Amino acid sequence: MIACLLIPGFELRAALHHRPRTLLRPAALAPLPGTEPLLGPVTAAAEAAGVRPGMRLGEALATCPSLVLVERDALLVETEWEQVIRRLEDNGFAVEPVEPGCLYFDTRGVERLYGGVSPALKRALAAVGSTWNAGAGAADRRFAALAAAAIARPGQAVVVDDQRTREFLAPLPLTLMPLEAGRREELDRLGVKKIGQLAGLPGSAVAERLGPDGRRAWSLAGAEDGGNAGWNDSAGWNDTKVSARPPATDLAERLEFPEAVANELTLRRALTALLDRILARPERGGREIRKVALSARLVGGGSWRRTMTLREPSGERGTLRAALGPKLAELPAPVLSLGLELLTLSESEGRQLALVPPEGEELETRLQEGLRQVRAHAGAGAVATVVEVAPWSRIPEQRALLVPRD
Amino acid sequence: MSARLNAAARLNEPRPALVAEGFDGSPQRVNRQGVEVVREEWRVLDRWWTEEPVNRRYFEVVLESGQNVVVFRDDERGCWFSQRGA
Repeated sequence: MIACLLIPGFELRAALHHRPRTLLRPAALAPLPGTEPLLGPVTAAAEAAGVRPGMRLGEALATCPSLVLVERDALLVETEWEQVIRRLEDNGFAVEPVEPGCLYFDTRGVERLYGGVSPALKRALAAVGSTWNAGAGAADRRFAALAAAAIARPGQAVVVDDQRTREFLAPLPLTLMPLEAGRREELDRLGVKKIGQLAGLPGSAVAERLGPDGRRAWSLAGAEDGGNAGWNDSAGWNDTKVSARPPATDLAERLEFPEAVANELTLRRALTALLDRILARPERGGREIRKVALSARLVGGGSWRRTMTLREPSGERGTLRAALGPKLAELPAPVLSLGLELLTLSESEGRQLALVPPEGEELETRLQEGLRQVRAHAGAGAVATVVEVAPWSRIPEQRALLVPRD
Repeated sequence: MSARLNAAARLNEPRPALVAEGFDGSPQRVNRQGVEVVREEWRVLDRWWTEEPVNRRYFEVVLESGQNVVVFRDDERGCWFSQRGA
């Protein structure tokens, strides 16, 4: 069976993980600066006060003047989500994370280990921890598992019998379907409010009226009995298979600045220092980098994070610097620390040798060997790079930083 | 993901200095050594718009031993420091 684990409002919960008292007050995730002022997830107290997720900020504040707006913290969300995934993986679950707060796993590998589907789900919920209010669902298809997890109470596991998926989905609201709001409203106007009502319509009529999205939703609703096995939509999404993520690489480096830095030149130099350190990590084992994430802790409490998948895996400092450097221009505020994570490494480490070695390669090799000797002799922290951050500053100690190269 | 955290340190951080000053506020003795000559003097006023303003009176001096030293009086904190790279 396919299982789904859902943590509603994960971004808000992650932001308030270290401030649990705020979870009991009317609070909502603030809109991103520069985007439409719509609220993110809200707490139960906020919902009781009449505030709904997706509500306009002005309307929400008029409805509940004591509403606490929680700033989005992308880095914290990513860190907390990674910890949740690691805890599940430590318990033997091969998970496919979809987005923070939602993941799937196949129960086949763990059913015998834990004595059935329900005990496995209970184990998964226990691994996640009770503070997250996670719900779990299992069914023969991903969508049905997601629906089961969505209706499960916090800490509850709902298992849908293989033969009863359609009956299970029929009374559920259409809001669970992956449909655009406009399409959902269109269906609502037509009197279609439940998944079962959508599944009862002729497939061709749904496709004609709502297009491919509607046809897909109709299919997910269970209208095609038995026809969903191995079904792929245009995006290649398979409703009956789970692709567990490859083992995570634990390669990350972070550089803290003595004070907030906004200068792009300084940030580029810091990025170079981070690249030097992360590429020298022995855990990389010469493998090239496929996917990398750049993150920053912003002044004033927020965070920023961008991931990048390289068209061709690379272990070259220059290539990575050229790929990641422009991202630094997107930073919305001065940063207190800059981080670099290697998310996916290529499997192979073979590489075509150059006919003529690049100029300076031999010197670079000798220099690296010399630095290794110094480190071995003098210990950790003995080798540092001087990174000029503000050579024009009138205050001498602000002109350059010493960045450890261990 | 547990990132290896490395804090960057500032280069040329000021170090506390033992300075005896004259009537005009210029250094007479630095770290128990007499001052032979004051080569240069300048003032740095910066970051006054922040909560950590910088208000320093710098002196480049030559000590009895021939050593060239840069010291400054931090007028915000009322104490003396020596500094390289100034």
